[in-house]
Amino acid sequence: MMLLDFTVMEGVQVAWLAPAACILAFVLITLMRLFDSKLGALISIVGIASGFAIFLYVYSQFNNSGAEEFAREWFSIGSTEITIGIAIDQLSVVMLGVVTFVALLVQIYSVSYMEEESRFGWYFGVHSLFAASMLILVLANNLLLLYVAWELVGLCSYLLIGFWYEKRSAAEAAKKAFITTRIGDVGLLIGIILLYGTAGTFDTSTIIHIAQSGGFADSTLMAAVLLIFLGAMGKSAQFPLHVWLPDAMEGPTPVSALIHAATMVVAGIYLVARIFPLFEVADPSLTIVAVVGLSTAVIAASIALVMTDLKKILAYSTVSHLGFMMLALGSGAYVVAMFHLFTHAFAKALLFLSAGSVDHGTGGKRDIRELGGLRKKMPITFVTFSIGALALAGVPPLGGFFSKDEIMMAVMDGLHPVFFLIAIVAAFMSSVYMIRALILVFFGDLKPENQEAHESPALITAPLLILAGLSLVAGLFVAGWQDFFNVKHHDINFVVLALSLLASLGGLLLGWAIYSKEWISSRDVAAKFGDWEKHASNGYYLDLAYQWCIDRIVLVVARVVALFDRIVVNDTAVNGTGYSVFLSGFKLRYVETGKVYNYALAMVIGIVVVGLTIYWGLI
Amino acid sequence: MSLVHFQILSAALFSIGLYGVLARRSAVLILLSIELMLNAVNINLIAFSAYTESLASTGQVIAIFVITVAAAEVGLALAIIINLFRSKGSVDIDEIDVMRW
Repeated sequence: MMLLDFTVMEGVQVAWLAPAACILAFVLITLMRLFDSKLGALISIVGIASGFAIFLYVYSQFNNSGAEEFAREWFSIGSTEITIGIAIDQLSVVMLGVVTFVALLVQIYSVSYMEEESRFGWYFGVHSLFAASMLILVLANNLLLLYVAWELVGLCSYLLIGFWYEKRSAAEAAKKAFITTRIGDVGLLIGIILLYGTAGTFDTSTIIHIAQSGGFADSTLMAAVLLIFLGAMGKSAQFPLHVWLPDAMEGPTPVSALIHAATMVVAGIYLVARIFPLFEVADPSLTIVAVVGLSTAVIAASIALVMTDLKKILAYSTVSHLGFMMLALGSGAYVVAMFHLFTHAFAKALLFLSAGSVDHGTGGKRDIRELGGLRKKMPITFVTFSIGALALAGVPPLGGFFSKDEIMMAVMDGLHPVFFLIAIVAAFMSSVYMIRALILVFFGDLKPENQEAHESPALITAPLLILAGLSLVAGLFVAGWQDFFNVKHHDINFVVLALSLLASLGGLLLGWAIYSKEWISSRDVAAKFGDWEKHASNGYYLDLAYQWCIDRIVLVVARVVALFDRIVVNDTAVNGTGYSVFLSGFKLRYVETGKVYNYALAMVIGIVVVGLTIYWGLI
Repeated sequence: MSLVHFQILSAALFSIGLYGVLARRSAVLILLSIELMLNAVNINLIAFSAYTESLASTGQVIAIFVITVAAAEVGLALAIIINLFRSKGSVDIDEIDVMRW
């Protein structure tokens, strides 16, 4: 009974088969050593496609009355029983759909995008492992299993960022991503243990129940919730732990689309939404979530404005939108945050895959200053990128408009109006950087060196078109979404709606005026904000600050510890013991004279001493 | 005659033997001294056995064992000494210090 057995085949319970199929694909690829073979891609795609089919079945069987949980004993220590199991509720069904669907499209896209690569099969093997871990993460019914999956997706992210590990920058970026998220993960682990310490179980629903009935001490719950939030900050690249995500763009573009835009980075959002009642009980914690989310949204958006690498613009845009989701969570509307996660996943995966198509078609160019005028050469990519960009900028009636609008209304309802005003500024910047990327890449004059640019093959454009279609219509889900989550429709606040729309369109207009019509010279703007641009394009020197901390604090402490280890532990304790034995042996060997009577005398003296000791009662 | 007299005799004999072992240079004399010590032990064993009801004749039996072991030991030791004499041309133990570092 260690694992889920094959009798669990009814209704939504089959959801566990989705990660199982992906694990099977991973195991097959690994055991058959298909690391350079095209067969690896086929196995992996079949695995994730069956995952998606299972999602469709689960969705058809799902009734959104409440959570259904299925658990079995995993292992037990003493009287403590740890279960392994899945929880099916609205959250996990939504995530199941997003993950399997985006992963399926990205894997199909990768077949063409990665075909020149060596380690082609290995790439798909890690993709399968990632899909499996991500699905376990979203289905897990207890925090321990979630933590295991959480670390596994981190590992896959590390492996895929460092896919081109021969390149030093890729290896460094992989390391940076792993270590930065690890800082948050430590918090998550401590938080989970704190919860376990009081609740005596890892079971999520039980912990929530205990918290709601006041079973936790206030300080414990507060500490646990904030530590878990630290984990979410690391994984979801919230300021100031966001520095790894832009660097993660060193990985292959499909990886950026899947892991660093649509799925893994939203694990933090999902986690907060999953244990949302805990945040509600631990009162001021939601405000902290909102502040972190808002500052992330603004800071990342302002950096995205000045980036020149297309993928970095998208990366900072992802960070910014993750900030929006956190802001929505902080305002108390986790359903809205999940809706933005949903629309953003499609739009951002679409943008990344389109950017990948651009660099595929132009022979690896990603700097927007070297691109331009590609709309004639790559019409399909142009259309899909535009849809993604406009969706993200929040132009009605695309998906992003509805979700961003919902967030703005939730912020207006739940938080101080200052939050709303700053969020509007971030949304405005969002529009500007999206239109900037769109115009600089696809409009203007075609550069002579880009004459060779060509549209990508059908295996690349098909996923783009599907995602573009979804981004177009994602907004239509907005009403059904609230029904699905059993939340009340709230009245539309038309002031908020108008302001938010004004921000989007105003941003687009401004960007159009600067970059396309050049009514406003971008040089003048740059001159006016020169200092600020310098700061922003250096990411506000956070990397430098971290490097300084590492050089001046971490490494210094490490050197002291290393010195202690060398001198005290190694030289004194370990080598010292050995050397003292050697030395005493060297000196004491002269006692061994070889004369029998010396030995006899020593023996006699020994006996006399022992005898006297006993006689005087010393022993 | 009480037990104490036997013990004094035994202790004296043992000490003489011990002195011989430590002070003599000739291997043969050391061997003889060891015999003295063994016999001192024998006297002790028999005396205790004779003066103590509960021990019955245990002491005598062990004394017989000691004599037997001593006989074997003398045979062995003399063989070693003869071989020593053959190889070194002497039985002076000052000159025998091969059991050294």
